[in-house]
Amino acid sequence: MNIDIANIQILDALNSLAAGLFLLCAFAMIATRQVKGCLRLFIGQSLFLAASALLLGLQHGSWHLYGVALVNVLSKAVLIPFILHVTMPREVYTRREINQVLNIPISLLIALVLTILAYYFTIPVQQAIDPQYRGHNLPIGFAGLLLGVYTLTVRREAVPLLLGLLAIENGAFFAGIAIAHDLPVLVELAIATDGLIVVFIVGVLIRGVQKQIGTTDVGALATLKEEVVE
Amino acid sequence: MSIIAILAIPLLAAILSFLPWRRFPSAVTFFACLAVLVLTIRVAIQASCGVPVVVAPKWIAVDGLSALILLLIAFVGTTAALYSLGYMAKTCHEPKKLRLYYANYNLFIFSMLAIPVLVEPTLVWIAVGLTTVCSAMLVSFENTRGALEAAWKYVVLSLMGAAIALLGFLMLFAALQAAGGGTDTWEGLIAAAPRMHAILLKTAFVLILVGLGTKVGLVPMHTWLPDAHSQAPSPVCALLSGIETTAVLYVILRLFPIMKAVPDFHAGTWAIAFGLISTGTAVLLLLRVRDYKRMFAFSTVEHMGIILFAAGLGSATAHYGAFYQAFSHTLTKSFCFFTAGALIISTGTREIASIKGLIRNSPVAGVCLLLSGLAISGAPPFAVFLGEFTIFKAGLAEGRYLEIILLAVFVAIGFFAIMWHINRMVFTTDKGDPPQKIRLPASCLVVLVISSLLVLAFGLYVPAFLQDLLRLSAAAIGR
Amino acid sequence: MSQRIIFNLLQFLVVLVFAPLITGVINRLKEIVQSKRGPSIFQPYRDLWKLFHKDEVISEESSWIFRATPYVVFSAPLFVTLLIPVLTTYPLFFAFMADMVGGGFVLALGGFFAGLAAVDTANPYGAMGASRTRMVGFLAEPVFIIVFFTVSFTAGSTIPYIVQKHWVSSPAAFLEPSHILLIAAFFMLILAEKGRIPVDNPSGHFELAMIEESKALEYSGKSAALMKWGGQMKMFVLLSIFLNVLVTPWGLAADISTGNVLLAIPLVLFKMFLFVLVLAVIESSLAKLRLFRISEFLGSAFVASVAAMILRLFAL
Repeated sequence: MNIDIANIQILDALNSLAAGLFLLCAFAMIATRQVKGCLRLFIGQSLFLAASALLLGLQHGSWHLYGVALVNVLSKAVLIPFILHVTMPREVYTRREINQVLNIPISLLIALVLTILAYYFTIPVQQAIDPQYRGHNLPIGFAGLLLGVYTLTVRREAVPLLLGLLAIENGAFFAGIAIAHDLPVLVELAIATDGLIVVFIVGVLIRGVQKQIGTTDVGALATLKEEVVE
Repeated sequence: MSIIAILAIPLLAAILSFLPWRRFPSAVTFFACLAVLVLTIRVAIQASCGVPVVVAPKWIAVDGLSALILLLIAFVGTTAALYSLGYMAKTCHEPKKLRLYYANYNLFIFSMLAIPVLVEPTLVWIAVGLTTVCSAMLVSFENTRGALEAAWKYVVLSLMGAAIALLGFLMLFAALQAAGGGTDTWEGLIAAAPRMHAILLKTAFVLILVGLGTKVGLVPMHTWLPDAHSQAPSPVCALLSGIETTAVLYVILRLFPIMKAVPDFHAGTWAIAFGLISTGTAVLLLLRVRDYKRMFAFSTVEHMGIILFAAGLGSATAHYGAFYQAFSHTLTKSFCFFTAGALIISTGTREIASIKGLIRNSPVAGVCLLLSGLAISGAPPFAVFLGEFTIFKAGLAEGRYLEIILLAVFVAIGFFAIMWHINRMVFTTDKGDPPQKIRLPASCLVVLVISSLLVLAFGLYVPAFLQDLLRLSAAAIGR
Repeated sequence: MSQRIIFNLLQFLVVLVFAPLITGVINRLKEIVQSKRGPSIFQPYRDLWKLFHKDEVISEESSWIFRATPYVVFSAPLFVTLLIPVLTTYPLFFAFMADMVGGGFVLALGGFFAGLAAVDTANPYGAMGASRTRMVGFLAEPVFIIVFFTVSFTAGSTIPYIVQKHWVSSPAAFLEPSHILLIAAFFMLILAEKGRIPVDNPSGHFELAMIEESKALEYSGKSAALMKWGGQMKMFVLLSIFLNVLVTPWGLAADISTGNVLLAIPLVLFKMFLFVLVLAVIESSLAKLRLFRISEFLGSAFVASVAAMILRLFAL
């Protein structure tokens, strides 16, 4: 009995560790300039998501969380980088993004404010679900979601934008595995593989954009407006 | 059984579209959509008696509301497929690209058909994501810089909205589990709603409203809509504007009876607020458009706002009006975009300022443009007018004078803006030589005639079978 | 009682004697990572010996600050040694004289005097280096403060010994997400304070690009030896705080026995060696940041530390 409680405590602590590193990856994705660095951070974030799924599976004894962890590792840490490397032209990865819409220190401060907001909004929700549950999954997942949305607004380079999109899904899923751990297997697998389809489609689009305008700086695509463009 | 067929036929057609015979993809698409339409009418007649058609109790079932949406999807799918026959043959001359177009078209129809048919909310989310994925290539079909920009914004914003909505759906599921379990279907959620935690439901509702609202085109998440709905080829625009936004709005509307169980949360107020903001912004931007397809796209945002507004009003008449508005909007908007396609074929440009004297140069396109403009901006005796009138009546009966006055002002501004632009295009004199008359393809003409007749007919007479469906739909979200 | 005095002196001696060794190991490791042989790890000792036996040249234009600074820089880290757990987990004599904030102030005193002395000689490179060090310093201030706040909030006290006890006692407290973020933030702080890559290149010779090194450029003979040694001891002290309190709070002597305390010395050195390994890898794989990017670097550290604070506050 005591060993069980100690085990659960250690699992909880490790889960919190994975959550903390997940959040760190989300912050670093905003602060990094290199496309390759962004990709590596995304892989790291997905691995922490899989680790959290594994730990939660151990805690609740549900085997399909293990499956979720495995699918996540396969699709997000292995297949998606592979697809990106194959579909993107080689030079996309040597790019550094020099001008974001806001500079990095301000982006980091805004990211901080978003994290505080995420905590503020999700703590009442978490208490409604399970007053005993003190884990960080729901707030950090929601924070990851908000940080991903923020990345979408400030980045101009295509591959980091795509990774921001996938980071939003990571965040939503991270929160989801903690609160909804009895979903039908079909649904969970479908959500986990959703990322693959997204990458495929957006990859094809980025390729098309690169062919048309010669660069993947999609922030420059801003011609469809109501104002008179002289 | 027919429901499975409804889903399977477009998939089959998608695979068959890859066969390299000349006219085969377009023909197979059209006949597939026709078959789906026939089957859908059968299912709708069955569902209009009040008993839902159930195939697998926890996964696939069609009640009155689903049947209505299904009918709309099938109808627009068929007319757009027929229109594509002529339009794509005229504008695109690479057979390989055309095959890809029709394959994507069928997949898009399939994903849209899946939305009303599935009853497990998370599966519906997957279907919504699938619609974005399948239509990405369709939006960027013309491969110009504008088309790519539109496709990029569309895909990125839609997927972002889908990810936000995912969290909302997961919270809904978590609420169901915390309330002691139950079947995870729309019906099951409504039944379990009184036991679910209020704060979970509220947060889930807001997340889903914001997330899926991005796909519907609610302001301020609408920035992709004018671009995507104007840069795509016209039959695709008809599908996107006509029915896809309505189908996603249907998903949001399914949440309303669940929210009714939450004691002090007025989902209706959120809906009214978002609806008014969307309508207002859309009509104000309508005054400044320079491209007539963008004009019709903004009109879509306006009508989505009106439908959401009506759903938020709460009374049975208002809900009836909302669904009638959805129905009439689908018919009319697809007609508008078919007209736009005819205009592009006749004049070769999308700018309003470059088109003059349409009534003389291409009379068919001119008359259709006039009719579609009048119809979509809410002039009697067209269908949209009837819907808006019902909504106004319901709102006044409830006593919401300020909101109705605002809505009426917005609709009036929209009417003025659209008719001003169309007037410039159709009636002004063209000083130069009249351009060469280009014949519209036969299938496009057929579709235009059918759509215009339907738009006129449904403004004057609503068949009983449709009335039953509408009443069932109103009841479905009004509980 | 006398045992404690002896242990205090032992702590002093450990810091004094082993600080140059750590620097020697860092330099050797960096060279090995770059496939060179590198100097012997005892080279810094030989350098100090050589400098102590050389003549000093002092500019006539300089004031008493220039002459007094080497002594301040040398003694500041030694004072801080009295406050932090270097060998033992229980507080020694002067442990309650100042807490972490006080220790930070004393370390900053050394930096302050070094900066003033750099400006004192009218050597342009000195002034440039001093102003740049101040910039890095003020960017690092908020990180320091937030880290100290979070650490003391977590452990319930600002005395390093009590903080260390908090983290050595329960693995659950050790694995908390705020702890990891704090470690990340503090690590970036150490890189900034001690002028390692990516903030500054400690082995560069180009005065226009120097940040930390140019403060000691003007010194010669005995003063140079004191400045060098003081810098090395500051590194040792910062590492002690980092490793013994935050990262690996184990391995210190838990009871008053000479054997345990003597055993703690090689354990502490081993922990520092592991850290130095990580440091050498990082230094050899990153490039020095451009000056205006240092604010991004320290901004990330700030954000990590505030995130740690939020996670800690909201976990209640």
